[in-house]
Amino acid sequence: MIDTLLYGVTIGAILYIFSIGLSITFGTMQIVNFAHGMVYSLGVYLFITFLPWVAGIFPLAMALAVAAMLPIAYLVERFIIRRLYGESLDYAIIATYAVLLIGADVIKYIWGTEPQPVSDPIGIPLVIFGVVIQLYRVVVFLSAIVLFIGLKIFFTRNVIGKVVIAALEDRDGVRALGLDVNKYFSIAFIIGSGLAVLGGVLYSPITTSEPYMGFHILLLAFAVVIVGGMGNLTGTFFSAFALGMVIAITGRLYSSAADTMVFVVMALVLLKDPIFNFFRKLVGKPAIS
Amino acid sequence: MLEVNSIDVSYGHAKVLHDVSIRLNQGEMVFIVGRNGAGKTTLLRTIAGFMTPTGGDITFEGQPIAGMAAEKVARRGVRFVAQDKKVFSDLTVKGNLELAAHASGEPLERATERLLKIYPQFEKFLDNKAGGLSGGQREILLIGRALVGEPQCLLIDEPTEGLAAIVIEDIFRILNEMKEKVSGIIVEQNLSVVARLADRIYIMKEGKIEREVVNPAEISDAAELECYL
Repeated sequence: MIDTLLYGVTIGAILYIFSIGLSITFGTMQIVNFAHGMVYSLGVYLFITFLPWVAGIFPLAMALAVAAMLPIAYLVERFIIRRLYGESLDYAIIATYAVLLIGADVIKYIWGTEPQPVSDPIGIPLVIFGVVIQLYRVVVFLSAIVLFIGLKIFFTRNVIGKVVIAALEDRDGVRALGLDVNKYFSIAFIIGSGLAVLGGVLYSPITTSEPYMGFHILLLAFAVVIVGGMGNLTGTFFSAFALGMVIAITGRLYSSAADTMVFVVMALVLLKDPIFNFFRKLVGKPAIS
Repeated sequence: MLEVNSIDVSYGHAKVLHDVSIRLNQGEMVFIVGRNGAGKTTLLRTIAGFMTPTGGDITFEGQPIAGMAAEKVARRGVRFVAQDKKVFSDLTVKGNLELAAHASGEPLERATERLLKIYPQFEKFLDNKAGGLSGGQREILLIGRALVGEPQCLLIDEPTEGLAAIVIEDIFRILNEMKEKVSGIIVEQNLSVVARLADRIYIMKEGKIEREVVNPAEISDAAELECYL
């Protein structure tokens, strides 16, 4: 059971790191950004390319992949996402989904369709309560905790972070002060994109990388963001770990249902008010709107 | 200082402002009154840059601002305080001021001093989350926040709406003190406040300016104005 829980926190950590950018984009711009999956998968493939160039130094290849993807993320934000502000949600879904598809095709064109394995950069096993786990997974988990604390500090102490937090709540209020919200959203978008690459790279030794890897994690991340609350960065943290546990525990009991159960939890969260009111009515109490 | 000339504003196909013209002179406090749905908020939001008029023009200090982005209008010195009393609730009171200070380039200390000058009771709340403030305190914070950087003009939408009488007196005092330093267009339904503060009044009805009241005797007679609400 311990190994299942540890697997859950590892998946939760990856989901958190990936979902942060999505949560910010959802919360600030009200845009469903499928292009986040493209940034993630393309970043991982760049990392795999850079790794032999830097003599297999994992952190260096990771930093290069993040740095290489930031200008691409900026271009996506500047020329696609920014044009979708205030537009119908359908346009955002179609446009960003197109970017995701283009990303997958670019990967297939350059790197082919064969899955790309990445070996564990640490390769040291640990024995915890009699269970052998890889130290790398502990590092992934700790990275998520450090990021959570770092982002908390950024969003509560740094003025850019504060503007983003304020705009999540009242975009017009921020504009009325004379602040160009789009500029701050761009910064938040690029930070989120960098984190998506980071999440993808950290996940690559645990899974295999393939051109459509962005699609799968994207769906799970949408569930994380919906359960945690759009734009709620603390909620995203806890929901990522909770859903990571759901995946791990369901996967242990019935592996085919692991992902499905994530969406069952999401549906229950979305339906919590009607369900709550149904039971209130059953016991003769009025519904709460 | 600020001139709105024959503007029309629409929400989609529905025209909500028809040929509206108002002006604000330096040092004036002009009030807009009218029933719900008369177009008062739309007028303020259009001046503030949140809506674009389909016709007419708006000038501030002789420069056209109609259709200009809200943040640019704010940087020109026209600040908008919305009706919803929405502060940045996850930030502290000081954090709210900090964003305004960051936008205007004014030091935070000066912005804080100014807020404490208009409402000294904030001293003990400065490091509290703004979300915990009462409705009246939120409105005062919003006004204090809008004053950061010494704008020339404030647009305030229904500052006393939903507030207790004692808080309304605080808001009245703040607006009265502000009168000497900044010009303002204020949408207000509380006619006792209007009667005591207004230099001029525009009455709005069904998206049009029904009347401009300039006579001090008429302005100070709240009962007389009642018929327009």
